Amino acid sequence: MPRPHFYLLLALLAAYGLSASTGWLEAHLDGWAYYQDVLIGIGINIILAVSLNLVNGYTGQFSLGHAGFMSVGAYLAAAVSLFLGPRLLGEEGGTAFQQGLMFLAALTAGGLGAALAGVAVGIPSLRLKGDYLALVTLGFGEIIRVIFQNVEVLGGALGLNGIPAYTSLFWVLAVGAVTVFTVTSLVHSTYGRGFLATHDDEIASEAVGLNTTRYKIVAFVIGAFFAGAAGGLYGHFKMTITPTGFDFTKSIEIVVMVILGGMGNTLGVILAAILLTLLPEVLRPIAEYRMIIYSLLLIVLMIVRPQGLFNFRFGKAKS
Amino acid sequence: MPATQSNQATNPPILRLDRVSIKFGGLTAVNAVDFTVGEGELCGLIGPNGAGKTTVFNLMTGVYQPTSGTVRFNGRPLAGLRVNEIVECGIARTFQNIRLFGSLSVFDNVRVACNLHRGTAAFHALIRLGAFRRDEAAITKRAEELLDIFNLRRFRDAPAKSLPYGEQRRLEIVRCLATKPRLLLLDEPAAGMNPTEKVDLIRLIQQVQKQFGLSILLVEHSMKVVMGVCSRIAVLDYGVKIAEGNPAQIQSDPKVIEAYLGEDHGTSLSHH
Amino acid sequence: MSEFLQQLLNGLSLGAIYALIALGYTMVYGVLRFINFAHSDVFMVGAFLGYYLGKFIPENTVGGGLLILLGAMLGCAVLGMTIERLAYRPLRGGATLNVLITAIGVSLLLEYSGQVFFGATPRTFPAVFPSANFTLGGLVISSNQVVVIVVTALLMVGLQFIVYRTKIGTAMRAVSLNPKAAQLVGVNNDIVISFTFGLGSALAGAGGILYALNYPSIDPLMGVMPGLKAFVAAVLGGIGNIPGAALGGLLLGTVETFVNGSQWSTYKDAIAFAILIIILLFRPAGLLGKASVEKV
Repeated sequence: MPRPHFYLLLALLAAYGLSASTGWLEAHLDGWAYYQDVLIGIGINIILAVSLNLVNGYTGQFSLGHAGFMSVGAYLAAAVSLFLGPRLLGEEGGTAFQQGLMFLAALTAGGLGAALAGVAVGIPSLRLKGDYLALVTLGFGEIIRVIFQNVEVLGGALGLNGIPAYTSLFWVLAVGAVTVFTVTSLVHSTYGRGFLATHDDEIASEAVGLNTTRYKIVAFVIGAFFAGAAGGLYGHFKMTITPTGFDFTKSIEIVVMVILGGMGNTLGVILAAILLTLLPEVLRPIAEYRMIIYSLLLIVLMIVRPQGLFNFRFGKAKS
Repeated sequence: MPATQSNQATNPPILRLDRVSIKFGGLTAVNAVDFTVGEGELCGLIGPNGAGKTTVFNLMTGVYQPTSGTVRFNGRPLAGLRVNEIVECGIARTFQNIRLFGSLSVFDNVRVACNLHRGTAAFHALIRLGAFRRDEAAITKRAEELLDIFNLRRFRDAPAKSLPYGEQRRLEIVRCLATKPRLLLLDEPAAGMNPTEKVDLIRLIQQVQKQFGLSILLVEHSMKVVMGVCSRIAVLDYGVKIAEGNPAQIQSDPKVIEAYLGEDHGTSLSHH
Repeated sequence: MSEFLQQLLNGLSLGAIYALIALGYTMVYGVLRFINFAHSDVFMVGAFLGYYLGKFIPENTVGGGLLILLGAMLGCAVLGMTIERLAYRPLRGGATLNVLITAIGVSLLLEYSGQVFFGATPRTFPAVFPSANFTLGGLVISSNQVVVIVVTALLMVGLQFIVYRTKIGTAMRAVSLNPKAAQLVGVNNDIVISFTFGLGSALAGAGGILYALNYPSIDPLMGVMPGLKAFVAAVLGGIGNIPGAALGGLLLGTVETFVNGSQWSTYKDAIAFAILIIILLFRPAGLLGKASVEKV
């Protein structure tokens, strides 16, 4: 993959450009606020799906607990903004630049907290395969949810609200670009080929000197970090978070994006995330039936096209 | 020449098994096996089906830990080391049933094995400064050179699982070489090959040994391959070493003949 | 002391239901090496079948109650076999991950269809068996608990009989040990697998009725938590091991009830998952299972 730094810079510039023009867009485009919200939702889902793809798709660790990492990030980031924010920014709330810095700190804290959770989940899961791994990660997600429901200082079952609305299109696109950059640069490097090898055949991987344990944990940690960042973005977008909002239904929604996109196919996963964020909006008139269609889609997809909807490289080697 | 003199390796041992045994529940799969591979030697390990040859390989490479006895590589005991750590020490192996990374390309199969001797740390993939780019270029060059030796360069970008069988076996050996081993363990590298392919393989193994200065231990069923290329052979039967010597000695050893032609086993020494 | 015994009784009653559901997981895993994610929703369908059947059958009669129980078991058996035939069989022999994903899809389909057709608001399960409370030396036993224990015991005895004394049961055991060899001796794997699904689903249906008797609020998502916990119970006992599933269920139900009665009651849902993680870390084969070695 040529010059990934170049693409990253390009994406960041586009993000800046788009956010700088929101004023103009708001004035000239009817309903821009709604479109902006949808775009932010798409961006967050892309971050979640691409980060999960590293764990599930590339490394083959079927994790059903991604929402758990998202919640850790959301809570931690919200805690930074709500509890540290007033103290650091003062009464008036500080300048936009200061707020931006605060938000960056919050997001980073969320990501790091989630990464730590990733280590906690990854290590016990090492010896597990397939079904077992899926259910243990699901279990971890549930444990995290129950813990948050019981921590009163973080709002308990009612969660946190009044989170400052720091999330903007710029932030979502910027974090999204960093996520995509990190995952793709890593995977296409010689080191990163190890993730795919671990997925393909662990015994053979060990036999060529790869530490499959380390690869699996690294995948979990990086995946969790970006899920946590996405959680932070989510919290500062919806301004309210509750423990039940991050249950395994959410994890399954993200997993469906990864499967639809073709596990281990970043571009496909991005397209799937876009499609699956837009679908509920489009299907709003028949919102009741959305999940039924969803689940039928999954079943049919596995029978008819298990490699994913957007996987066009069927038959050619991954490179 | 008295049998005992050829039983010992003439070069200092690079690999040494001292009364190595492994038990699985009530079954003793490998029973107090003594064996050495000398530096630069090309040795063979033969025996009827189920004799425990692959199990011995697994013991040498850390897949199994022996229940008693020691495995030493360059004098260093391998007890407790993980499989990938033993590869770092310098032992590489192929598998009886080919284990390539099917979804990766031929090139990537070799490239991933170059991780062991990578010059830059993992996170460099994200920073991508000059050091990283030079390292990746060196790895690419090395992988392509290895593929060239085995005439696999033309398949560079094809998925590994799409290769013809013989080519897959050769790719597995190339992948081993990418880890810069001192000792190569080949588990039935000629399985499933026709006579011409076997001849080519023998030549290739000898060439590789010379070119890379390797010691090689071969497990093989094909007598033609083993007798033609190994300087010393050990014979295993029911987990016990029943004979050791040069090809001529092995072929005339009554215990070996009985193990192969006995009522439990159907194979014959002269029919491969 | 009587407090302890009371909790124990409650725990065994809950554990019996977990055991019934766990048996379904373990049997399917035994013959297919596959965890049927949708099993918990068959349990839910069982409860709803009982609810709708209860509209035609008079309440508070033992006969009526048994009829509802059997009806739900039959309905669930059919459902389970249909799911296997339509969604799982086409993928047999393929990547196990794909079947797992399909199972998730079926589970979601049942849950969300339930929400659309039954409505998401919980309904009250009718008192299908005559209800009364008995006191036994300080212990309060509800008749519904008695029903749970009696029915579960009978079903397990029946299951033991089927698995160890009938031809199809022997075939089930053969397939779970070595599917290819079973085929070679003339076993029709398709029929055996269908039967296993039917049997397991019937037990889940029974579990649904029994659960609804004691916790009369039913809704389309009611199967999720009990299902997950029953799965943990199956793993605890040793997945694929029938007595193990029973043991695991009883143990888990008891532990959960005691936790619920303690100061940590809000963590009772997390207890099951904590047990799962501990078991998989330290004794992955489960209490009664045997570890298997992968051939290199």
